Amino acid sequence: MSNTSQVPVTVLTGFLGAGKTTLLNRILTEQHGRKYAVIVNEFGEQGIDNDLVVDADEEVFEMNNGCICCTVRGDLIRILSGLMKRADKLDAIIVETTGLADPAPVAQTFFVDQDVADRTKLDAIVTVADAVHLSSQIGEHHEAEEQIAFADVVLLNKIDLVKDKEIDIVKDRIRKINPYAKIIKTNRCETPLKDIIGLNAFSLDRVLEVEPDFLDSDHDHEHDDDVTSVSFVSETPLDLEKFQDWFGNLLQTRGQDILRSKGILDFVGEEERYVFQGVHMLMDASPMGPWPKDKEKTSRVVFIGRNLDTMDLERGFEGCKSA
Amino acid sequence: MIAESLQLKSTKQTALEIRGKILDIGLPVTSSVSIKNSIAVGFGDGTIRFFDPGLTDPRVFKVHSGVVLCMVSNGNYILTGGDDGKFLKISFDGEVEEIADFGSRWVDTVAVYKNDKVCSSGNKVYVWHEGQKKEKILDHPSTVGGLAFCSNGKYLAVSCYGGVTVWERLDRRWKSSRFIYKGSHGLVSFSPDSKYLITAMQENEIHAWRLRDKDNLKMSGYPAKVKSFDWVGNTPYLVTSGANQAICWPFDGKDGPKGRKPICVADGGKQYSTFIKSLPDEEAIFTGFRDGTVLLSEIDENKNANIIRNPTGAEVTTIALTSDRSHILIGDSKGSILWSTLWAGRE
Repeated sequence: MSNTSQVPVTVLTGFLGAGKTTLLNRILTEQHGRKYAVIVNEFGEQGIDNDLVVDADEEVFEMNNGCICCTVRGDLIRILSGLMKRADKLDAIIVETTGLADPAPVAQTFFVDQDVADRTKLDAIVTVADAVHLSSQIGEHHEAEEQIAFADVVLLNKIDLVKDKEIDIVKDRIRKINPYAKIIKTNRCETPLKDIIGLNAFSLDRVLEVEPDFLDSDHDHEHDDDVTSVSFVSETPLDLEKFQDWFGNLLQTRGQDILRSKGILDFVGEEERYVFQGVHMLMDASPMGPWPKDKEKTSRVVFIGRNLDTMDLERGFEGCKSA
Repeated sequence: MIAESLQLKSTKQTALEIRGKILDIGLPVTSSVSIKNSIAVGFGDGTIRFFDPGLTDPRVFKVHSGVVLCMVSNGNYILTGGDDGKFLKISFDGEVEEIADFGSRWVDTVAVYKNDKVCSSGNKVYVWHEGQKKEKILDHPSTVGGLAFCSNGKYLAVSCYGGVTVWERLDRRWKSSRFIYKGSHGLVSFSPDSKYLITAMQENEIHAWRLRDKDNLKMSGYPAKVKSFDWVGNTPYLVTSGANQAICWPFDGKDGPKGRKPICVADGGKQYSTFIKSLPDEEAIFTGFRDGTVLLSEIDENKNANIIRNPTGAEVTTIALTSDRSHILIGDSKGSILWSTLWAGRE
């Protein structure tokens, strides 16, 4: 659903010490001339440029629908609906998450709560990463991996402390987890705010624009807990019913391991492109207009998650091709 | 996407719209309560407006710096909570007394019983007893979603994630009892006879417990979240929003609505109901809808509803009656207000 009156919400994640507070301080102290609400966890600062600071505790709730991966941020539902009652219009809302937070419940809140979805929209998940420590953090903490996996933008911070060659290694590591994320190299999070706010990254038409930045190289990984990504393409049109059966069942049974999924699909007998994107087992999908004249009708799906090699994804996707 | 009202396309003004006054305040209306024989209305810019019978223009007072999030009245004064972190007492003349300031933490819910003043901020409930200087602090497992006293003030219900904590007022302390049900609970209320406890949940359902034995039942199947409910009549019925009608659950007999079907009145076509207000003593209800329409109906599926207010394009967020039921106030999320005598010929 797209609605111009929806206030965009940027989610700020980042492992402990990556520089999230530096970025928040910048947002709160820069003379940006816009009205932001910033939802924080225990933060002493007050905005100087009209910003509104709201204190909240992260409260991750399981929805009572029998699905253990369907968790939402209860505090966010409460605060976003409160902010929507304000007389003055907000230009954007920024949500800070704690260093050890899993971004999924924040994203899922926008799929699950109708009032939140009607009045606000998830704009992008921005992850601040420490160029010095990211590689080791990814290996040791699954939260750090998840934050990269969910990111639409990775601010690769503290690059002045790292040699160019090492930066490339870190970037490769990020891309292996998430080929979709835009990587911005920074010191002290110095990048224009327009690079992180107002990106519209969660809108379905953006799925059409962003080409994944895949590495040609190996798909090997150190251990099963690693988050990786895979993608498949098909020149043969897909069968709608077969795809729905396979994909629906896949999200139902393996949704916990599939962190994000995106795709553009060409179905037999359908003029329009079909676009979807999902977070765990929740999905948003819609026809998005006809295929461009000058482009091949190529179906493409991307999965980011854990244990993807055990899901028989390639065979499943192949099985959706129309006979 | 097109926003179109599919509800009862009527170009005719209703009797109340002709008789009353329509004010376009242009600020989201968040809540309203009756005080003395007037109605106090809270807005998204921190103002309170008092609507007095006989006067067309309201008295305006700026009380919070942000949104008036919640409001209650004991008939003589009102208590408000705001997103400026303040818990305020406001007299009928608009005099403001700050009871507490929680800074950047919001005051999400408020309650009052006689002169006992209660609010919540985060997972804590603060109780100011009449005659006691220092407040009593009650802790809960997560952020408080709703607060309610029972009719004689002996019990205070506090909803949050995982159920409700009912605090019983003893001589010098409060004793707690948990009513557990998985999920996030918001609005909470005791039935008028204090036999049942009700919550509206984050899921599209409501939950009920019988206080005596904690026997509980869930009422689900709503297409939307239940944002409002009220008790009506002697049965009594719990009437809820959250569907394209008003859903009336009977709470009489030994087991209340267990195994019974609700009565569904106030057909809103494709619009979902968002606010319910009881018309006491008449077994009737006002139902506000997402498109701004308000219907008046009896709890009888065979009778047609009356259109009280035409669609405005904005969700009905509040309906209030003066204490003598002479006047009605309807407000919506875009700040349109209908203020009118309820019955013809009674100015």
